Amino acid sequence: MIPSAFDYHAPTSLDEALTLLAQGGDDAKILAGGQSLIPVMRLRLAGPELLIDLGRIDGLRGIEDDGDAVRIGAMTPHHDIASSALLGEHAALLCAAARTVADPQVRHRGTFGGALVHADPAGDMPAPALVLGAEFVIAGAGGIRTVSATDFFEGLFTTAVGEDEILTHVRIPKHTGWGARYEKFTRVAQQWSIVAVAATVRAEGSAIAEARVGLTNMGSVPIRAESVEAALAGCALEEAAIARACASAAEGTDPPTDTNGDADYRRHLATVLATRAVLSAAGG
Amino acid sequence: MDLRHTFTVPASPEVTWVAFNDIEGIAPCFPGAALTSVDGDAFTGTVKVKLGPIAMQYTGTGVFLERDEVGRRAVLQAKGKDKRGNGTAVATVVAQLSPDGGGTSVVVTTDLSITGKPAQFGRGVIQEISDKLLGQFVDCIAAQLQSTAVASTGEPSLAEAEAAVAGSTGSGPPPAPSMPDPHTVTMTDIVPPPPVADAMPRPTAPRTDPQHAAELDLGSTVLPVLLKRYGPPAAAALAVVAVIAWAARR
Amino acid sequence: MTVTEIGSPRRRKEDQRLITGRTRYTDNIVLPGMLHLAMARSSFAHATTTAIDTHEATSSPGVVAVLTGRDVADEQGSLPCAWPITPDQKAPPHPAIAVDHVAFAGEVVACVIARSAAEARDAIELIDIDYDELPVVLDLEEALTDATLAHPDLGTNKSATWVFDSAEAGTGDDVAQALAASELVLERTYLQQRLIPAFMEPRSTVVDPTGEQITMWSATQVPHLLRLMLALTLSIPEGKVRVVAPDVGGGFGGKLQVTPEEVITMLAARRTGKPCKYTETRSESLMAAHHGRGQVQRLKLGATREGIVTGLSVDLLADMGAYLGLVTPGVPILGAFMYNSIYKFAAYRFSCTNLFTNKAWTDAYRGAGRPEATFAIERLMDDLAHELDMDPVELRRKNWIKHEEFPFSTIAGLEYDSGNYEAATDRALELFGYDDLCAERDRRRAAGDRVQLGIGVSTFTEMCGLAPSRVLGALSYAAGGWEHAQVRVLPTGAVEVVTGVSGHGQGHETAWSQIVADRLGVPFDSIEVLHGDTQTSQKGLDTYGSRSLVVGGMAVVAAADKVVEKARTVAAHLLEASTDDIEFAEGRFSVRGTDQGLALGEIAFATFSAHNLPDGFEPSLDSDATFDPENFSFPHGTHLAAMEVDTETGEVTLRKYVCVDDIGNVINPMIVDGQVHGGLVQGIAQALFEEAVHDESGTLVSGSFVDYLVPSAADLPSFTTDRTVTPSTTNALGVKGVGEAGTIASTPAIVNGVLDAIRHLGVQDIAMPCSPHRVWKALQDGASKGLGAEEPVPDRVAPEQDAGPMNSSGNLPTGDFQ
Repeated sequence: MIPSAFDYHAPTSLDEALTLLAQGGDDAKILAGGQSLIPVMRLRLAGPELLIDLGRIDGLRGIEDDGDAVRIGAMTPHHDIASSALLGEHAALLCAAARTVADPQVRHRGTFGGALVHADPAGDMPAPALVLGAEFVIAGAGGIRTVSATDFFEGLFTTAVGEDEILTHVRIPKHTGWGARYEKFTRVAQQWSIVAVAATVRAEGSAIAEARVGLTNMGSVPIRAESVEAALAGCALEEAAIARACASAAEGTDPPTDTNGDADYRRHLATVLATRAVLSAAGG
Repeated sequence: MDLRHTFTVPASPEVTWVAFNDIEGIAPCFPGAALTSVDGDAFTGTVKVKLGPIAMQYTGTGVFLERDEVGRRAVLQAKGKDKRGNGTAVATVVAQLSPDGGGTSVVVTTDLSITGKPAQFGRGVIQEISDKLLGQFVDCIAAQLQSTAVASTGEPSLAEAEAAVAGSTGSGPPPAPSMPDPHTVTMTDIVPPPPVADAMPRPTAPRTDPQHAAELDLGSTVLPVLLKRYGPPAAAALAVVAVIAWAARR
Repeated sequence: MTVTEIGSPRRRKEDQRLITGRTRYTDNIVLPGMLHLAMARSSFAHATTTAIDTHEATSSPGVVAVLTGRDVADEQGSLPCAWPITPDQKAPPHPAIAVDHVAFAGEVVACVIARSAAEARDAIELIDIDYDELPVVLDLEEALTDATLAHPDLGTNKSATWVFDSAEAGTGDDVAQALAASELVLERTYLQQRLIPAFMEPRSTVVDPTGEQITMWSATQVPHLLRLMLALTLSIPEGKVRVVAPDVGGGFGGKLQVTPEEVITMLAARRTGKPCKYTETRSESLMAAHHGRGQVQRLKLGATREGIVTGLSVDLLADMGAYLGLVTPGVPILGAFMYNSIYKFAAYRFSCTNLFTNKAWTDAYRGAGRPEATFAIERLMDDLAHELDMDPVELRRKNWIKHEEFPFSTIAGLEYDSGNYEAATDRALELFGYDDLCAERDRRRAAGDRVQLGIGVSTFTEMCGLAPSRVLGALSYAAGGWEHAQVRVLPTGAVEVVTGVSGHGQGHETAWSQIVADRLGVPFDSIEVLHGDTQTSQKGLDTYGSRSLVVGGMAVVAAADKVVEKARTVAAHLLEASTDDIEFAEGRFSVRGTDQGLALGEIAFATFSAHNLPDGFEPSLDSDATFDPENFSFPHGTHLAAMEVDTETGEVTLRKYVCVDDIGNVINPMIVDGQVHGGLVQGIAQALFEEAVHDESGTLVSGSFVDYLVPSAADLPSFTTDRTVTPSTTNALGVKGVGEAGTIASTPAIVNGVLDAIRHLGVQDIAMPCSPHRVWKALQDGASKGLGAEEPVPDRVAPEQDAGPMNSSGNLPTGDFQ
């Protein structure tokens, strides 16, 4: 399909982008990797009159060591995240999830920031970001502010980023040496997650010292399975024990029903996948 | 799809019926709707919806098929067409009031049919979103009616509410700095009764701040929400907002 | 003659241009002054259009005209259906642009003609159409009651009922009696879900009205049929219509059609006097290109306790959709002859009721009727084997036609010419490691493993090589089944082969070159194969039903042989010998017993100069042949699938797939492998992934590849394929068709495998596609139901929320299901 006509700007500075965004108002849309926006435009489900391409702004792309965290530019493609040695060491869960996004073409164009701001409930990057305690750095006319992960994902396709703001970076607190696994359940390889579980685990001896467990597509926002995390603290590194700890994974969730499964099935999947994800993350 | 919502208010069916038919009081439950004309039992309007990057604009017409004062039953049919030809939504809403102890039980049954792209590409979540949006709308009305029932002076507050509904009457709304663009509705923008809270007790629906949109009650997670453009209402659910038909009647 | 080309895995001639992008697909065509079309489509599944306001669209930038149904009502005629299966078949008129009634979501209601494709699409949005909605009928059982009519004016949803009864036909016994007398009767209901063709190249049409003839380029499988039908439908003299199928990117039945869009493009071109192009988007294609399948199959299989089948009764409800397309009503009928498959049944009855619904119309796709039949019988055989606690292969062996019994007249009235089910099966079992895998399955079952293993068996035969014209006549199909070819030898010795088949990925240019190279003894690379243009290949019946090689290839052989005979006459004359003494080998005519001779090329040049030809000899070697097959061809095969089922999640994994197919003699084994691989993926996709889903309004909610799941290479293992060779006895090449072979047996093999893995857990049946959700749900239901239910009832799971009326593939549920 052919999108309806639009103006296109590729500013070279963040300030320029923010100005354009403010001027464009309702009719402007940020273009990151375009992997979600362009299909929607081609289907004419959206017709922004102005696209503001962030691709030429310096400093929005890259992965760097930031002391107690790793700092990721919002325009960093999934591929860079998946193959980052730095993240592999300090936030392996992010790499694990990025590796499963769609297909190689999408991974090379789609961006971390774009995926997070788009906040598709079935998208793979929000849950790992949530459970790793990401901090979102947002630029606006009034300056820069930071939003924590718990406050960032607000609802279906809704985040804390205002209509005149731009997500510039994400800081991921280091989880150095933690095991990680992104257990993604799909029917065909390139599909969005039917359900996915993001698990990262710090093991101590033959037990789990701490765990972070997040759920993808079990609601309109990524969900932290807090009761599971609590049950996993100190849990023996053994399948039955882990399964017991993960039994409450679906608690408090409101999963969708669609052609891939109903809510009951998804709740069931969440518990099964949580067990498998934790077991795998723990090296079992 | 058939969607069903019920609520009760601690007021008699007579009072509830009157308040119910005072559409302006209920109008704020669906901000973002702009009335373009009213003619007896019929009216037209537009609503803008955003769901993530998806933006739809429905032009709707509505007509009261039935207003049975004795039976306390109203039937409204609303039709909305997306301006890009992306599809339509037709909603037939039946509201039935009946006595419930000292109060009134209101059953709202909506037969909603969404065609075109939102259904074709919606990944199957249309029903769910429609259901929840309608639920939000109904909760808001319930709260409205509840506060009306409790408040001794329903009229003035409703009149002020009417004045406050930016856009639908064209009269200046009371300044509400973070009031949403009246011509855009987002899932998160379901605005409770406007800030004339002095005359109106706080509604009991789960909202924290009249200046801000209601929480998006999708799932049991209740999230505070800021007013913003990129809300999540499904375009189709917004056709449920074509159910503004009765909210918009003057 | 040395056979060097036939049987050789020659790299395809077509691939050079296909792979490097030197292709000319229809959408690549750009003509001076060309205008672009966009279609406004109904989003309602059933409605009357009360008003269409086009004035805003007409004044939109770049727009030349807007056509509505009323504008073209007098010209557009009715899209053709070439197959009235009964004399009293009912069908509504089928306008290309709906006039005042739409019967499915996606039907064209207006057309914009503009200077650019973007402007055309922009203007579509400005067309304002008022609809009065009408009630929709989507479910087949419901359609049968006529409570809601898909076409109110038609008065009924029943298009036709077609019956075959072996007792009446004299081919066997009365099935009711046979079943009543049977020791065991299995009753089953299976669902053939609606499928959507997903050819790689979306459909596209360009029409140029500026020449002496009107030329249409279209992504079609059937340029000849299309030309004829356009002429008839639009009342244009046939000689004035030229249709060209340029490079076409796939079809498999999906492009076997006379489409509304093709007719509209032609109307637009004639109106504007300018070339016009229409290319659909993928989402339009999924919605409005004809769909496949859509059947409720009710079956009764009678058998003895030893496992000998005594009779089969088949009762079908077939979903036509909103209209009858080119061969729509005949598709289920093609399956009528195949339910008995490779087996000897004593009694058989088939009855099919074709019904209209408010969905896109169905038509030929991916096997067209035969896979549905094979699925039913192969599922039944597996169920029977399970019922009798017998090995499923052994059960089939007891019932199939033995090798020495060929040729064999079946209960359905067909004569199978040759076959060797024993050889194919034995080879398949060996390659598969059948005994070892069965042992592993039993071990896992005993141990209660989380991941269970199931072995799926399916055999198949199909009737292909459509078709003997007399048979088509007996079935009331409007056209014949012959094929035409012309072979020309040019003065320089190069050869041109004109064929009436129309390839869209099959590799005909290569295979025909191989055949002619052997037949004429000329180099493979000196042969040019011309096809797809009705002006060049003036006669033909195109490509579908695995007919190209069996019928088209035979026409090529016949034409080549005529060339040889003509050349022999010239050679005799030039060599001053009697024609009886002329031998022809490796492209050379020689006098027996001498070393005197002339190459075919020399003969060709001599004929061209015509200086010294026999008296009365027309100076031409070029020869035509039109070949009408005397019978269908009957390839067969045995397919085995090892399925792993994760009982915790319901996830199904295809671990191993082996098929041994017998397609007679093989022209190009590499092409055959490609055909089989492609067919396997398609059949597996139906078993595990694909389903057209509509909501209760009739909107197609699986409207993109996000929801309509098509597997990629990432989802499937490599297949092990092999062949046995039992040549056909009804054509000189000894070949049988292979185009649809892969797709026919694979679907039931997969489903049988899934069930074999979890039957012991109380699962009797799972409706396709066997999604993880459905498998899991079946396991839950099985666990609660307990084992050994007496009357096995298929477990039907609606994939969507069961609470609400939003019923998705619940379009095909029957009263048996919850």
